Amino acid sequence: MNDVTTVAVEAEGLVKQYGGRGGTVEAVRGVDLRVEAGEVFGFLGPNGAGKSTTVRMLTTLLSITAGTARVAGIDVAADPDAVRRRIGVALQEAGLDPRQTGRELLTLQGRLFGMSPRAAAARAAELLALVDLEEAGDRRIKGYSGGMKRRLDLASALVHEPDVLFLDEPTTGLDPASRLTVWDEVRRINAAGTTVFLTTQYLEEADQLCDRLAIIDDGRIVREGTPQRLKDELRERLDLDADPTLDDVFLDATGRTRGRVAGDVQEVSA
Amino acid sequence: MSQAWVLGHRALREGWRTPEALLPTLFIPLFFLVVNVGQAAKIFPSASTSFLHGQGYGAFQLPSSLLLAASFGTAALFLVEDIEGGYFDKLRAAPVSRTAIVLGRLIAEAVKAVVIATAIVVLGLVFGIEIASGPLGFVLLVVLTALWAVVFVGFMQIIALKTRSAAATNSAGLVFFPLLFLTPNFVPRDLLTRPMEIAATLNPVTYVMEALRSLILQDLVWEDVVPGFAVVVVLGAVMLALNVRVMRRYD
Repeated sequence: MNDVTTVAVEAEGLVKQYGGRGGTVEAVRGVDLRVEAGEVFGFLGPNGAGKSTTVRMLTTLLSITAGTARVAGIDVAADPDAVRRRIGVALQEAGLDPRQTGRELLTLQGRLFGMSPRAAAARAAELLALVDLEEAGDRRIKGYSGGMKRRLDLASALVHEPDVLFLDEPTTGLDPASRLTVWDEVRRINAAGTTVFLTTQYLEEADQLCDRLAIIDDGRIVREGTPQRLKDELRERLDLDADPTLDDVFLDATGRTRGRVAGDVQEVSA
Repeated sequence: MSQAWVLGHRALREGWRTPEALLPTLFIPLFFLVVNVGQAAKIFPSASTSFLHGQGYGAFQLPSSLLLAASFGTAALFLVEDIEGGYFDKLRAAPVSRTAIVLGRLIAEAVKAVVIATAIVVLGLVFGIEIASGPLGFVLLVVLTALWAVVFVGFMQIIALKTRSAAATNSAGLVFFPLLFLTPNFVPRDLLTRPMEIAATLNPVTYVMEALRSLILQDLVWEDVVPGFAVVVVLGAVMLALNVRVMRRYD
């Protein structure tokens, strides 16, 4: 681990606009965020709310239209390469090369982060053991199951021991057993000192894993706090007898009901 | 530069593990060579056709096949697969220079083109074609073909990065066919009709083809060879600059 400031991720007035033939679409409309070092921070929202767009800006993959963002204390727009050295990224679809073996992919990743061939090979072996893919390590990735690909993707994001790990919907499409395995990995990674910034649509996942979370809707942050504090706030505000669930918090924050489902929201892709 | 080599090595492995994408780049040019020679060889008998310099018509047609082999641009299609599969973002999220990402694929394309061009020329030798410019000419022939492959895949990579679409990238590759046929493909430039001669003179591929042809049919004639290398060097520099620019602006 490198030394980091106490703030792992900080965004102020973050805006992303896309221009197109149909006019300008504002996918993210002034997001403010603060994630402390060592936290597991959950970033929730319905489809098209701006989760992935925000993550892509924070991870240098997308230009920032307005506002500022600092990750591991470094300005994302001013020094993206320095940010890339301090973050690990596992995006929505496991970004893997199906023609390589798991070992080759991890070794290549190590080499791209400046390791010698020997050090990269050693790190690849270590990570394969860590995510329980030792036996499959020399098989081509195209033959891996969804859960194996997710674990390998996680491992590839850890090659350089990042300060901040961005996980964009890491368990989408996984069966329950694979999901639990990924949760265990996230807990273990965080226990080792890495800040985790996690987007998810699964509220149970956020409840299980996150120290704090923010809910984004229509490009704006509509709730932020610990899961318990958000539930307490809803119970007090609505004067409920029983503890609400995070689902209730989410529905209240986003105004979703059975009459207004995610499909009503304009999808924006990067 | 080491990152470019590492990525180039990965791109070569990718090509090696996808023979179904690589083999047509060898067999289709050979097919055209056989067909073109079969259709036109009797019109141009070696004994009475001065522009053949004593060789068969196959020697005259070999450059077209080499250029075709170098103009498949499969690396650009692999790039689209990387983009669609998310691996491209994985690379972009790593501290890898944008130039290295582009150069890695171009290096791999050059190596693949060297292998394929060598195979085609060696097959030509087996069937009686001679490289009149000798061993140095052989090397120049292969190097020039490989440099053209870099130019062409550079063009296709720009389309891939701008459109992120396999269909659009594939279609863009078809631009090579008008470029190939607006050249002294079947006869030397001075035997073309005037409009075709003007079109061929304006077409940069003509100078690459004439350089390749000169290396096969004649001793080293530098005034024929140099323009071909000048074209690939200038176009290669332009394509590299455009690729890096598009990569840096990729959002």
